[in-house]
Amino acid sequence: MKQKLADSEGFRIVNNYFESKGNVPFSFQTKAWEKYAQGYSGLIIAPTGFGKTFSLFMAVLIDFLNQPEQYQKGLKLLWITPLRSLAKDLARAMQAAIDDIGLDWVVQVRNGDTDPKIKVQQTRSMPDILLVTPESLHLLLAQKQRDKYFKNLQCVTVDEWHELMGNKRGVMVELALSFLKAYYKKVRIWGITATIGNLDEAMEVLLPTAAKRIQIVAKEKKKIEIKPIYPSKVELLPWAGHLGGNLADQVVPIILQSKSTILFTNTRSQSEMWYQLLLQVHPDFAGQIALHHSSIDAQLREWIEDNLSTGKLKAVVSTSSLDLGVDFKPVDTVIQIGSSKGVARFMQRAGRSGHSPFETSTIYFVPTHSLELIEAAALKEAVKTQTIENRDPMVQTFDVLVQFMVTIALGGGFRSEELHKIVADTHAFKYMDQEEWQWCMYFITAGGKIGKRYEEFHKVIQNEEGLWVIKNRRLALLHRLNIGAIVGDAMMRVKFLSGGYIGMIEEYFISKLKKGERFILAGRILELVMVKEMTVFVKNSSGKAITPSWLGGRLPLSSNLSHFLRKKLAEATDAPPAEKELHFLAPLIEKQAALSAVPGEDEFLVEHIKTREGHHLFFYPLEGRLIHEVMAALVAYRISKLYPISFSMAMNDYGFELYSDKEILLNQTQLEAVLSRKNLMEDVVSSINSAEMASRKFRDIAVISGLVVQNYPGTQQNNKSLQASSGIIFRVLMEHDPSNLLLKQAFSEVFNQQLEEYRLVKAFDRINQSKIRYTFVEEYTPLSFPIKVDSLRQSLSSEALIERIQRMEKINAQKKKSRK
Amino acid sequence: MKIAEQTITFNKQELIINNQRSIFWEETKSLILSDLHLGKAAHFRKHGIAIPMDTSLADLNRLEDLIGHYQPRQVIVVGDLVHAGVNQEVLLLEAFRLKYPHLLLHLVKGNHDRLSSQMSERFGIHHHEEIFEHNGILFKHHPADAADHSSFRISGHIHPGVSIIIPPKRHLRLPCFLVAEHQIILPAFSKFTGLDSNDMSAAYQCYAITDDLIFPVGSF
Repeated sequence: MKQKLADSEGFRIVNNYFESKGNVPFSFQTKAWEKYAQGYSGLIIAPTGFGKTFSLFMAVLIDFLNQPEQYQKGLKLLWITPLRSLAKDLARAMQAAIDDIGLDWVVQVRNGDTDPKIKVQQTRSMPDILLVTPESLHLLLAQKQRDKYFKNLQCVTVDEWHELMGNKRGVMVELALSFLKAYYKKVRIWGITATIGNLDEAMEVLLPTAAKRIQIVAKEKKKIEIKPIYPSKVELLPWAGHLGGNLADQVVPIILQSKSTILFTNTRSQSEMWYQLLLQVHPDFAGQIALHHSSIDAQLREWIEDNLSTGKLKAVVSTSSLDLGVDFKPVDTVIQIGSSKGVARFMQRAGRSGHSPFETSTIYFVPTHSLELIEAAALKEAVKTQTIENRDPMVQTFDVLVQFMVTIALGGGFRSEELHKIVADTHAFKYMDQEEWQWCMYFITAGGKIGKRYEEFHKVIQNEEGLWVIKNRRLALLHRLNIGAIVGDAMMRVKFLSGGYIGMIEEYFISKLKKGERFILAGRILELVMVKEMTVFVKNSSGKAITPSWLGGRLPLSSNLSHFLRKKLAEATDAPPAEKELHFLAPLIEKQAALSAVPGEDEFLVEHIKTREGHHLFFYPLEGRLIHEVMAALVAYRISKLYPISFSMAMNDYGFELYSDKEILLNQTQLEAVLSRKNLMEDVVSSINSAEMASRKFRDIAVISGLVVQNYPGTQQNNKSLQASSGIIFRVLMEHDPSNLLLKQAFSEVFNQQLEEYRLVKAFDRINQSKIRYTFVEEYTPLSFPIKVDSLRQSLSSEALIERIQRMEKINAQKKKSRK
Repeated sequence: MKIAEQTITFNKQELIINNQRSIFWEETKSLILSDLHLGKAAHFRKHGIAIPMDTSLADLNRLEDLIGHYQPRQVIVVGDLVHAGVNQEVLLLEAFRLKYPHLLLHLVKGNHDRLSSQMSERFGIHHHEEIFEHNGILFKHHPADAADHSSFRISGHIHPGVSIIIPPKRHLRLPCFLVAEHQIILPAFSKFTGLDSNDMSAAYQCYAITDDLIFPVGSF
């Protein structure tokens, strides 16, 4: 078989094409071509820049050249990519190759940006290759002629599968694939992914039923070099966030020496801050650097991306908004400001420089406090050992399912048993039971709760042939407008009074501002003039201004990185430490050891610090802020069960603090009990307000399942009513229909994502196996200080809100009395 | 259902405001409420959105409990009795009427009310197009400016809410009464409604409500 393909006409033509470009196919590419020809489906794992696109696109071409009689007119290859911006460039590259080879195939893109005229043309006659997003694929499935589009389909490729797998868009892909597979049996399905921790699972999710499937891993590896920027001296009490600014002086020369640089920050507010900082330190940058984040106007972003590709910009300060997407050829330097929070993200960002396959990607790491240098050491080891995070696939997401069912009803209808089988064949719904399927059918056909049939409800109805369909045209239009699993934040548009759109800002932030106050957006200082509906009108201004904090911006630390951080912290006490970064931190580590202790790998450190302000307990699980939030609430709850005391809590990615003005009475035995694994989840549930968390999760679920309508035809729907209504609907359902599956989904999302039950349990297992070191100190230690000064302080009291109001009211009443 | 009350003075009259989203005016034996939005859930369902029906039923049950508690002679609804046209849920009103044949039911028309005069008659509703005046107090759906001192008014429409901060850092949005010297704005009676917590002039004293409490805000 092998010999045959290499001798074939198709192979020879494509090989000649490679030669004409001065290239030789990589071995994973030829392997993919062979396996495709043998009828396999599969998953290709290759780093960016090694021609993973051509591994599959050429496979289809070769197969066609060898047996053109197997291919009919119309759509042959469907290419799913998560990003619209990627599609255009990919289509161009594919079309160029096709033209060079001398075929008459047409490659086209279809997504939200596509000209409606072209879309109409496509529905009449599909191109040979079509590039779509998961959303635009679902829109095609919602069309009555869907069968016409796909009947000659040979291959579906899911590009950047790792970006889709962990979220609801991935579930959309699973459902669509299972549908296509059921009706067009010969279709081969291939995925392309970057390296992730759970590749086997990635294949299982993509191809749960394929008879012939294979993983092809590129041997080629991208070389990454990590260069930390060292501060001039180690501050013994590291002020979080402040150090970064001082390092701007060292960052400027790096930018100047490079052709073009991307600076990655973690939050939009940090990117705004660094943009200003660079201009301050080096005013000549004006006009040569730009700012790129998801709240900046899409047109402006496109302009920035274009200028970055053509090399006209010296540097761009960005957030994860530039993590993915087209390659910017002139970019030869990447700078990461602060922790990247994860190994995969760090490698991805590094990969934005040094594009050609054998070049080394260099990434500079700028710590925002001295302790982050430990992270540089941890990242180095994680990259060396290729310990990359998992992407956990989502399951039982009924909001996506009911949306899909309506989509299929819209595109010509379905029979319940047939669709049930298709859905049950996906990884996401393989554990769905008959009752749950019935519930979903009920949700879209009868409305409301089981056992009641409302006369006025009509969405999906059964026609004469027994197919479930949608007849109402208004409902059909509404559904089409709202297909998708990305739910917008409650954002407001920011516009100049004189016209011109600047970007988006969170409603929450604007509601705190008064007229005439100034804030920073897109690198400009703006003065608030007025707010009208969902638009904020501003004018240019100067002087001091507030940098907005975007709520969604904080990423939690991944568990992989946590593991390496703990390891490196323990190694820091080796004399002398092996790594340069750790060596540099020696004075800080020594002080930590002298005052309290540096936790070894099998130890868990708790510091009891007494200061003039009061009493503090510091814990260092190094598990990331989200987990620490839950742990802090839990530990506070357990201590308050020992004796009455209330705490305020603070946390960062390294640890958390419980603070009280009363003395904290807690001995070693009690501490060990407080950190026990026993009754863990029961106590977690008692210590947090899970209904409130679920209500927040329900917002997306309500939109995806169609309970809340995000887009109305022709109007820009005010998001305020959306927010309120998903909250109201949550309340109504809790009260009147508590067994609603979508409510259950909201709670399980809280447990899986917010509380990360699995990771939490593992963290407690680890703590329980560790030796707990409990130290008593009279001043802040180097480890505790950053938590103290720069963290989100909040109280997650176990007391019900109403009780607290009552208490406040009582105090209030007493005050009034005493005044009299 | 727990009824918690506060007594306020308005145009020299004693009014009882309660956490069940209504006012009882002792002197005229009137129970006053606004924005019942009957039939809202059914209206949603008509548009393909699956909301269970019991919301309107629960609201009407609450109204019956209040009538049992205060024994009013009349109920004054300051607008938006129904959410959209007549539907199954709105017809629940018929059963409600049969239980209280002697109760007077006044409705000041709100922006949502689209009941035909025929339907109003069927439900025994005294329909007032703009304003209903009763013993020196005007009932009017849309509130006027709080600083307008030309009359004493009770209104609804905006579904007032208030955002309170519970130390150290917790926001909570609750429905509320807004009480100024010449104007009271009622919270929406229906629980299936949103809140507007934007528009609060300093002229208002705000009373927030929960399932168990009513309390003045701004005093702590």
